[in-house]
Amino acid sequence: MFRQISIISFVIVLGAVFLHGFIFPVSGERKWRPVDILKRIVHLVTLCFIEQKLTLIGALRKLIYLLALFSFLVLAVTGFYGQLVRGEEISGYLLMVHVTFGGILAFCLTVLAVMWSENCRFDKNYFPRLHKILNSHCEAEKPQERYELIRKFCYWLIVVLALPLILSVILSMFKFFGTDWQQVLAEVHRYIALALVLIVIIHTYLLVRFKIKQDG
Amino acid sequence: MKKGLSYTVVFSFLILCGPAVAVEIEKFEGDIDTGSRAEAVHLIPLLDEYGRKIFPDQHPVMPFSTRKSCGDCHDYATISKGWHFNSVDPNAKPGRVGHPWIFVDAETATQIPLSYRGWPGTYRPDELGLTAGVFIQLFGRQMPGGGAGEFETKEADEIVRRYVSGKLEVNCLACHSNHPGQDQAEYADQLNRLNFRWAATGACEFATVSGVAAKLPFGYDYLEPNMMPEAKQNAPSVVYNKNVFDDKNRVLFDIVKEVPNRRCYFCHSTKLLSDSALHSQQDVHLAAGLRCIDCHRNEIDHQITRGYESEFAQTANRLAITASCEGCHLGDETLPLPVEGRLGAPVPKHRGIPAVHFDKLTCTACHSGPWPDAKNLRVKTSIAHGLGTRDVDANDNALPHIISPVFAKDSEGKIGPHNLVWPAFWGILRDGKVSPAKYEIVRKAVITIISRKMTSEGNWAQLTGEQIKEALKSLSSAEALEGEVVYICGGEMHYLGDNGQLVSEEHNAAAPYLWPIAHDVRAAAQSLGVRRCQDCHATDAAFTFGEVAVDSPLVSDQNSVKVMTEFEDINHLYIKLFAFTFVFRPWLKAVALIASAILGAVLLLYALKALGRVTKFMVEKDSRKD
Repeated sequence: MFRQISIISFVIVLGAVFLHGFIFPVSGERKWRPVDILKRIVHLVTLCFIEQKLTLIGALRKLIYLLALFSFLVLAVTGFYGQLVRGEEISGYLLMVHVTFGGILAFCLTVLAVMWSENCRFDKNYFPRLHKILNSHCEAEKPQERYELIRKFCYWLIVVLALPLILSVILSMFKFFGTDWQQVLAEVHRYIALALVLIVIIHTYLLVRFKIKQDG
Repeated sequence: MKKGLSYTVVFSFLILCGPAVAVEIEKFEGDIDTGSRAEAVHLIPLLDEYGRKIFPDQHPVMPFSTRKSCGDCHDYATISKGWHFNSVDPNAKPGRVGHPWIFVDAETATQIPLSYRGWPGTYRPDELGLTAGVFIQLFGRQMPGGGAGEFETKEADEIVRRYVSGKLEVNCLACHSNHPGQDQAEYADQLNRLNFRWAATGACEFATVSGVAAKLPFGYDYLEPNMMPEAKQNAPSVVYNKNVFDDKNRVLFDIVKEVPNRRCYFCHSTKLLSDSALHSQQDVHLAAGLRCIDCHRNEIDHQITRGYESEFAQTANRLAITASCEGCHLGDETLPLPVEGRLGAPVPKHRGIPAVHFDKLTCTACHSGPWPDAKNLRVKTSIAHGLGTRDVDANDNALPHIISPVFAKDSEGKIGPHNLVWPAFWGILRDGKVSPAKYEIVRKAVITIISRKMTSEGNWAQLTGEQIKEALKSLSSAEALEGEVVYICGGEMHYLGDNGQLVSEEHNAAAPYLWPIAHDVRAAAQSLGVRRCQDCHATDAAFTFGEVAVDSPLVSDQNSVKVMTEFEDINHLYIKLFAFTFVFRPWLKAVALIASAILGAVLLLYALKALGRVTKFMVEKDSRKD
């Protein structure tokens, strides 16, 4: 069941991302010459670099973000490989790698939550329609990036889901829950991980779009 | 799911059709279940093997026959096909591998597992040249009769011998006698004397049997003892205690339907050879007041449940559904009735144990047998060592050497505790397959070579490669044997190479024989993993890295060990690394808990901020209205 849901979800989200990227290209025009594709790849790689203009905190934040992204990639591969490819539970070396990077991701997510949350607050400017309904005064103070609201929403979903994701696996290591609840926790971990992976895909896609656009 | 469905179908069928089938089977008066929970009084006449009533004053006085005396009211034919008696029946389902009979002879450096059931790794006694009669003489001590004792032989000598000794009938009293005078050690003694016909009588509390059938000449007629006066002094004879006969010449047997534990113990005891008193304790079930028969149950067919997980699937014995650990403690949701909690069995929560453990381990892995040590213990068992019989070798080093507990993967792919014995025997290699050489031939050929290296009676001789070579040469030249003569020991096959040198190599026949153990069950508070994961997942945990001694008469093998992972069929490097991760497990927990706390705090902080905004907005809106 989980396998089917996962495969369908991945196909839908990845399909939607590719379709969106194709229909709404960042630069506004579609260029498919090999040199343009190469340029985009190089650009994507350069996004991982630490810019000189960044402050120490900014550089640290980016490093931790990249480490979190890498950990997330490792966790997603190790976690879903068994389920999606072999149709079996994670075990063996994959489990060991998964657990190791799980700790790293938990650390990174926490640091990022502390460093990023303030930037990702929803202020009143994001909800003009809501203000209109409530007959409230609203002033747009600054121009918004097109997908900023969705990106911030994704960010908060990641933070919200990270909590049960970590707790579902850590609590099962304590002598709190019996077999039935252990299985429930494993299911919770599995489905939250799936949701989180999908949201991270969307968030990363939107962030990359934003960065590319920002770089001009 | 499929298994569960089949359970449901069969269980429902049995519930619906059970009464009809029962009426068909229970045709003997003593086998009809009237519903009374009271014990039946067994005041019955004694009948000899021809069905004639026995009087204590008659001459010659005959031993009683259980087939006739008990068979009058109970279905002997059905009972004698039960688990304890059907090993020689080729149609009997062998089930999971079990404790073999182990033929040992220190003077020929032999220790070989035997069974009529064809369990992989065992050999049939006749492959070794042991007839059914000899087999009973050796091992009948810990059997309740029947089986090989009633086996119809085709060998002329055996037929004549059987006429003198008689058949060994099922000895109902071996299990069902509740009398303290029922003496199974005497029974074993009678079998050793080949007094098969007299064994059950000799072991009961109201008769004495003397004489040695083994010393009687062929042609001796036990019905006409006076025909051979010279045999008189060895002729088996019975003296009954006349006081037990009532005025109708009936005898009151102290018989119970529900077999007392002490009767089971005679054949099913295990002695741990450990210095630590902590290792020895009673099975938790028995300590709680349960009896062996509460789990090892049977109906009149005497198909006693062995209690392993897949038993029902293998044997279709409906009692097996609730006879396993899972049956009583976990139940099966696919069954029409709840079965868990039978006899007050606690349903465990297994707090903190990831569910994967239940896929990879048997219940017994954590709950049964002695707590594993860095080096395995040795045990002595009734079946292997004749515990409880007279003149038993009380030496702890007496063969066979049984190593326990060895955690190994069983036939169902789960890891559980096993007993292990390393086979050691002289064999013939034909077409890549090793079969044991006939014992009599071996004994003649090698005894002089090996016995001079004996250090203590009952233990291995201290052999070197030279002696093995010498013995192999002797055995090769002693008889015209088809195939290459080999010696199996210490997990290897040894044979003479082209230049006469001793060659050793691994062979399937040299693989150790392992059989699962389930007792003694420790209390839940003493199960593996109850203290911490490192009970099994430490870098030096005995469960995975314990040393299993390689037992062999070869001096060069005697310090060899195997690591438990070899039997568990798991990668040593992987499990070592996995155990190493548990060193950092507390750190992982701490990081994850702190991370969760901070994430929770961040979420709470911004949630409160959002709430503050909402509250402020509502107040502002309210003020504007005013």
